[in-house]
Amino acid sequence: MSSFLTRRLVAACITIWAVFTISFIIVRAAPGGPFDEERDPPPDIKQAIEARYHLDDPLWKQYLRQMGGWLLLDPGPSLRQPDHDVGSILAAGLPISLLLGGLSLLLGTCAGICLGVLAASRSGGWIDHLVVLIASIGISLPLYVIAGIAVLGISFQLGWLPPAGWQSTSSLILPVLCLSLAPAAQAARMIRTSILEMIGEDFARTARAKGSSPTAILFRHCLRPALIPLISTLGPTAAALLTGSLVIEQIFAIPGVGMHFVQGALNRDYPLVLGAVLLYTVLLQLMTLLTDLLLVALDPRLREESP
Amino acid sequence: MKKLLADRSPLSAIACLWLLMVLIVAVTTPWLPLQSPEIAEPSMAWAAPDGTHPLGTDALGRDLFSRILWGSRVSLACALAGAVAALLLGVSWGLVAGGGSTRRDNWMMRIVDLLDSVPVVFLVILVASIARGSRWESAGGGIALFFLILGVVYWTPMARVVRGETRSLARREWAQAAVALGTPPTRVLWRHLLPNLIPTILVTVTLIIPRVLLFEAFLSFLGLGVQAPAVSWGTLARDAFEVLNPVKTAWWLVAFPSAVLALTLLALNIVGDSLRGQLDPKQRR
Repeated sequence: MSSFLTRRLVAACITIWAVFTISFIIVRAAPGGPFDEERDPPPDIKQAIEARYHLDDPLWKQYLRQMGGWLLLDPGPSLRQPDHDVGSILAAGLPISLLLGGLSLLLGTCAGICLGVLAASRSGGWIDHLVVLIASIGISLPLYVIAGIAVLGISFQLGWLPPAGWQSTSSLILPVLCLSLAPAAQAARMIRTSILEMIGEDFARTARAKGSSPTAILFRHCLRPALIPLISTLGPTAAALLTGSLVIEQIFAIPGVGMHFVQGALNRDYPLVLGAVLLYTVLLQLMTLLTDLLLVALDPRLREESP
Repeated sequence: MKKLLADRSPLSAIACLWLLMVLIVAVTTPWLPLQSPEIAEPSMAWAAPDGTHPLGTDALGRDLFSRILWGSRVSLACALAGAVAALLLGVSWGLVAGGGSTRRDNWMMRIVDLLDSVPVVFLVILVASIARGSRWESAGGGIALFFLILGVVYWTPMARVVRGETRSLARREWAQAAVALGTPPTRVLWRHLLPNLIPTILVTVTLIIPRVLLFEAFLSFLGLGVQAPAVSWGTLARDAFEVLNPVKTAWWLVAFPSAVLALTLLALNIVGDSLRGQLDPKQRR
């Protein structure tokens, strides 16, 4: 178990380093420097700016300096907000994004499991069809159209919830609901299919022959193996949530990491973008690692195979 | 294969018809007697659907009907690019990994795992933001880059599916027989295994295309996707989002583009699911 963990941690570190290097190369390969759009500063001022951000050093020196900075969690100043450094901008956004993403993942997965079980237990009935329809629509419309409709209907027409911002608990509800829609739809479809598959399996038939009630078969025998494929997709789901959070944070004006990332990308604030990419990579690596541990805990077959 | 295309539910038949229609319309759009999607008529701005503009006009007075039709071309081109990339890269990667030695399989699939554990989308946004406004984007490189990006993001699921299926097919008697008769391994892969993979590949493609279309919409929303004056369903959906406010509501700008996009994605999902159901006897209930 511990050797498995060590191996995974080493792999994660190598991945993070690779992502850092690739993003560094992409940023450096960009045509034109980040200050070229500014209205022609006199050459000596331009030189001073470049010296301030160490842009005049040889490339390998910049690479090592940045990597060192990141290792010490002190990545240096942002290019567009010179008074703030990248570390503090991201640190301010991180708890907000984590709360938003974590709640959405939790809500989406739980709601998806409930809907999937409900649909599978009423297989062929109207509840089943309704769940399948809602789940299909949930993954057939761009997130921002759904969010826009929700804001228009719930915030402006009905006036129940604030349309944007991040002040009170009530301003959290709508973004979390919108963001959890896609994972819920995905989970519902998946759980429904795998439970329907499990019900046809031999072990479920045996349980039925021994006189277990349909509810017991559904929950005790079918749900647990049906959860395994769902959990193994939690990593990609988390990645999709991160992507979705970019849109949601824009729409609801939530000051999380995603908002800074998009602003940074549009303003060519490379250190900030690089920092956000790294942060997302670390988060995703942690998520994948947790998923794997959870899988091993749930599925005894994996425990025997892993050395 | 023939069995796959026969006996379908009426729902998936309707879905197929819709997809066929979208495809035909997208291909024939340049020959249709339409108003240009780019010509603005300020006097006609915010016109509700009527005789001259069957689906109304947008904030600049451009005809929505013609914009949706022209947009379908860009969107379908994106979908096609994503599908082709998934086919070329994903299928060959999966085939070579699944049909080779365990060692080769291991390192090739580790690379896929690695790519899946990296937020590729964010690297893509980084590239798109750098390319935006650069010299070669205005020279038409933007769309090409965009297609490249879509391919890079979406080939790994295909590689996984193909690899798994190849491994199980390679154990079958007929594949073993081909090997025993001295057929070179490459030939076994491409001539014996690949044709048997086609149904699986088809299903995966129908499930990848919706994701490509949504990703196009996503990038366009962030302002990093298809750039004006080019129009796609993603940019139309973005326009729709912008009128979703209590000050100026133009329902037709929301309803029609969203409906077209949602129906197409829904149809693709339905067709994909029903194909998968046909392939998997366990699910055929």
